[in-house]
Amino acid sequence: MADEASRGPGPFDVKTIRQLVALMNQHDLNEIDLREGEQRIRLRRGLFQGGPIPFAQTSASAPAAPTSTASAPPAISATAKPSKTLLPIKSPTPGTFYSSSKPGAEPYVKVGSKVTPSTVVCMIEAMKIFNEITADCTGVITEVSVENQQAVEYGQILFQVDPNG
Amino acid sequence: MFQRILVANRGEIALRVIRACRDLGIEVVAVFSEADRDAPYLQLANDAICIGPAPASESYLNIPRLISAAEITDVQAIHPGYGFLAENPHFAEVCRLCNIEFIGPSEQAMRLLGNKNEARKLAQKAGVPVVPGSEGLVRDEAEAVRLARSIGFPVLIKAAAGGGGRGMRVARNDISLQSGLKAASQEAEKAFKDGSVYLEKYIEQPRHVEVQILGDQQGNTIHLWERDCSLQRRHQKLVEESPAPNLPPELRQEMCEAAVRLAKTAGYYNAGTCEFLVDKDNKYYFIEVNARIQVEHPVTELVTGIDLVREQIRLAAGEPLRFKQQDVVPRGVAMECRINAEDPAKDFRPSPGVITRWQAPGGPGVRLDSHVSAGYRVPPHYDSLVAKLLVYQPTRSEALACMRRALAEFVVEGIHTTIPLHREIFNDSSFRDGRVDTTFIERTWQKG
Repeated sequence: MADEASRGPGPFDVKTIRQLVALMNQHDLNEIDLREGEQRIRLRRGLFQGGPIPFAQTSASAPAAPTSTASAPPAISATAKPSKTLLPIKSPTPGTFYSSSKPGAEPYVKVGSKVTPSTVVCMIEAMKIFNEITADCTGVITEVSVENQQAVEYGQILFQVDPNG
Repeated sequence: MFQRILVANRGEIALRVIRACRDLGIEVVAVFSEADRDAPYLQLANDAICIGPAPASESYLNIPRLISAAEITDVQAIHPGYGFLAENPHFAEVCRLCNIEFIGPSEQAMRLLGNKNEARKLAQKAGVPVVPGSEGLVRDEAEAVRLARSIGFPVLIKAAAGGGGRGMRVARNDISLQSGLKAASQEAEKAFKDGSVYLEKYIEQPRHVEVQILGDQQGNTIHLWERDCSLQRRHQKLVEESPAPNLPPELRQEMCEAAVRLAKTAGYYNAGTCEFLVDKDNKYYFIEVNARIQVEHPVTELVTGIDLVREQIRLAAGEPLRFKQQDVVPRGVAMECRINAEDPAKDFRPSPGVITRWQAPGGPGVRLDSHVSAGYRVPPHYDSLVAKLLVYQPTRSEALACMRRALAEFVVEGIHTTIPLHREIFNDSSFRDGRVDTTFIERTWQKG
């Protein structure tokens, strides 16, 4: 390692890492994978959903090559862009979140449910009044971000919706 | 005693209530709109709940959201601060219906005193002098003109549902009375949903002297002496002090006793303020009761040594008053400057934005109540108060000198403030002699 140190900064140098992160932001890169001798650094940003990604090819072991370009989501045009923009459904009031219309009933929605703007996704109880919350968007629920009977505040994310799902 | 309280307000009074709760070992929940998300004082609460977007109607004035926040955090009481819903009897009622204690007077007392015309009648019943005026609401122009002639011009047209300086118009003759009545009634209808008006004699160049009262739920009421708030601009107070300078001791005594009498007659408990005008002949007249803790309450705290917000909490929890009237002995002189984010050179236009430098004054006898610091972004959606600068000294001349020194130390950059105006006020000889009235600011600082 001594001779590496004398050759200048390596991939685990904080300064180098900062520079790499800055470069990624600057060029809107999702992932970079660098190797130098025995040292390798791989920096990944945001959600990795698959699809074409640029990375520095090395001659060593199998790289994380994209395996299913054929099924890559057509919405991705620029390869450098994050692969999905999710739409959050936020609480319009502080209150208590209820995932179903009454105890024991099926939840209004779950991961994978399709929603349209008028789909009721949950109830928020505020001051003894049960407010039905609608999706106000179209897509597929990818995440239920709160738990049944959880206290929520205004603007808190309740669900994530994939508009392209 | 309460275990947890929610403060339904923002800014410096929210911080004030948070501090009082922590002093008492009570947990405190703060609320915030999206515009206040990064407010530093939120970190001092045990919990902070986002209640809505920036507009007050969707956040700090939104009763369902506030109550909801109170319910999910399981508080036993709500402190409404001042402004917003502090004097809203419906809010007090909703709190009660939801089994949450409202830290303030009863909704009945609030309703009674909130109607300024009813409050006037109550004062008369309590043997408290009122400004000569109409005995009740004015129904038509002919009646108004008759009344105005018997009271004597100039008269003040006042909205019964108004208060805090809003919904008032001066009329100096029949013509301006007639047009003024129409306009005042329309404005009142729009602002307060109640177009009813009444008349009062317009007192020329009065002093504004108010009395702090405190009452428990067992019927004991005391006063904590007076504050002089004559320095105002467009009915907004700029400087307050206690004791009121050059006020004859018998007059002071009489006014304070009148305030207690009025509070008792109204069945008032918790903290409140009785406002009076004092004319050039040292005659005093009741104006209105502010059924809440006031912005300038620290002035009284300094001269009496009593923490008013802590007492509010104790009284709301049902505790009896811990002081008898004879225990409240004022000492020294306290003065307060309200520092607003406004530009005095541009007709006090609000000056929101990021504070890039905040060099606050300090040292002996200086108290600064403020929720802001360098880096804070003053939002444009709410009132412009950024700090209350207070001094407390043994004599008035020392207090004046101390305030001049503190104002000189105070450096704020990034926003405009009223600090330069305060520096001028404290260099003014009439003010230093304690000879000012409510028209003083506008007469002395006429801007085009």
